[in-house]
Amino acid sequence: MSMLSRFMPDRKMKYLVKKELKSLFRSRWLIFGLIISPVFAWLFEGAFLSFVVAQTTSEPSRVFITLEDEGVWGQTLYDAIETDMDELLISELLSITKQEGDEMVANRTLSVWVRIPANFTQELEYNNVSTMVIWVNTGNFRATAAGNRVAGFAREVIDEIIVIRDLRVSWRTISPEATYGHSLAVFLVMIVSVMAPSPYIGQSFAGEREKHTLEALLVVPMSRVRILVAKLIAGLALTMVYSAFTVVGILLYNWSIIARAVGLPLAAMDYYINLYTVNIAAIPLIFFCQLLILLCAISIGIVISSAAKDQATAESLNNLVLLVPTMVIGILGFTGSILQYGGLFGIFVLAIPFSHAVLFLNGVLSGAATAASLMVNVAYMLGFAIVFLIIGAKLFEREAIIV
Amino acid sequence: MNETVIRTEGLTKIFEQGKKREVVALNEVNIDVSRGEVVGLLGPNGAGKTTLIRVLIGLLTPTAGRAYVLGRDVTEEIDYIRERVALLPQEAGIYERLTARENIVYYGGMYGIPEEELQQRADRLLDIVGLREKEDYQVKGFSGGMKRKVLVARSLVSEPEIVFLDEPTTGVDTIGARVVRNLLKKLSSEQNRTIILTTHDLNEVAELCDRVGILNEGHLVAVGKPSDIEEQFKAANLEEVFVGLFTGEGVYEQ
Repeated sequence: MSMLSRFMPDRKMKYLVKKELKSLFRSRWLIFGLIISPVFAWLFEGAFLSFVVAQTTSEPSRVFITLEDEGVWGQTLYDAIETDMDELLISELLSITKQEGDEMVANRTLSVWVRIPANFTQELEYNNVSTMVIWVNTGNFRATAAGNRVAGFAREVIDEIIVIRDLRVSWRTISPEATYGHSLAVFLVMIVSVMAPSPYIGQSFAGEREKHTLEALLVVPMSRVRILVAKLIAGLALTMVYSAFTVVGILLYNWSIIARAVGLPLAAMDYYINLYTVNIAAIPLIFFCQLLILLCAISIGIVISSAAKDQATAESLNNLVLLVPTMVIGILGFTGSILQYGGLFGIFVLAIPFSHAVLFLNGVLSGAATAASLMVNVAYMLGFAIVFLIIGAKLFEREAIIV
Repeated sequence: MNETVIRTEGLTKIFEQGKKREVVALNEVNIDVSRGEVVGLLGPNGAGKTTLIRVLIGLLTPTAGRAYVLGRDVTEEIDYIRERVALLPQEAGIYERLTARENIVYYGGMYGIPEEELQQRADRLLDIVGLREKEDYQVKGFSGGMKRKVLVARSLVSEPEIVFLDEPTTGVDTIGARVVRNLLKKLSSEQNRTIILTTHDLNEVAELCDRVGILNEGHLVAVGKPSDIEEQFKAANLEEVFVGLFTGEGVYEQ
């Protein structure tokens, strides 16, 4: 028998897959969990971000501004911001000196401070590039949003006047590769996906041992590798339910954001919808990446479940092993690129297969990925899953599995 | 009735428990079983009955010695053997969310039996065990005895040449146990199937078994027809033999 034919599905495997699926689909709570968890997670995110939208729009922010430039462009920008205060959802535009601003930064008593520096016009006229500085309290959603609105508006003002000139904003509060919507989408897709197959894997391996059904299964004329592959196929088919309802969840999430943003001034509506919603065109890629995450999670689960004595132990270990690194890289994702870490910690982060899912999703959602970088991410996750499935198969073939 | 379908030669199985402790579950067991025989394995818990069955069906690898089933070495040609034997494990679990019919059909499907044939066999077996009316009920609502009947039917769906039954009537009510015993008798007498069963019920052994093997701490201490063993131990019945061997009560001469 060739290596490949050992894994190819046959008629006997079909019955095992059917048996697995029928057993599982009659487990109402398991199916309910697979349906409700992605929908609930996305709706929760939608509600949370709608709350953020409400917080950042219903009460316009106080913005401090310092005009040091004595040229025409600084004044033009200042006047434009002052004229469009309502559109920018600014309640008060308070003019302060640089010294006052520095003191407030030092005292942490301001939320947004826009500084148009002394050489603003000169730089713009001689170099076609100038820099406006925005200080923002990034721990404050309202301030961050107000700063973003001012930055975007300022760029439009400068571009409308002299198209070839470029305004730069000295500001480093947003991850260079993802918006909030992207970061949260990546985090949600990953965190819930790694947990989704856990009940099935626990039930299908350690659960069969615990309920004494495994022994009868292992004496049917099928190799253990085929039994393992059949269970893997059933697991992936089952998690398709989860993936399908993730799509439903994303659509509901987008709807909740759009519903909340409609009614805001046009610029603010565009800003929020663009910032928070997940691009529909990206859903197939999210679906594909989710499949890879599920495959990795299932392969890890098989190893744990084949080694554990009972279902409860398998599920506890599985949750621990999957949840901790996922939380770590999920949180890291909000602080910027997970590629920014070096040394042993950087290696540790990149060794986690879900880091590559984050990189993949960030890459496709931001459009910054290259085909080669995506291939590396996909290859790593597939390779990881294959290695763990081989380890799982070895553990599954042990005599101790039934003793 | 002379064709040998099971043969063990010095069959030994040792389990390592940690780095220092070893448990000898089977100690140089030699036994031959002919086609169509019903052989009962007796012995207290931990005697090695289940281990012997597990080795014969390829779930465990012998530490030493040889075991042949249907003329094939269990360590070399287990796929051939598994196509032709079936096991009803001691703590046979059942897929509770499947119906009685599905439990039988899906299990049979894993033996490569065509669908139409499979359904016919399921009909026949459900009739025999008296569960035809409840065939589409999920098993989770069944009593322990009904579940056991489903499991017996499931183990027979592949029409095996040899059936290994580890305590087949444990937990089954009197009438259910009677149904199972009658079924096993029929399998042996009408279809010439070989049956190896373990049990603690000595009446069951007397009723069903052509021969008995008594295991103690991995040793096969006696094997033969029940009447021969009774005579060998100068006992009135198997119960006396059993009690005498494992408690030391009474005087026995071999």
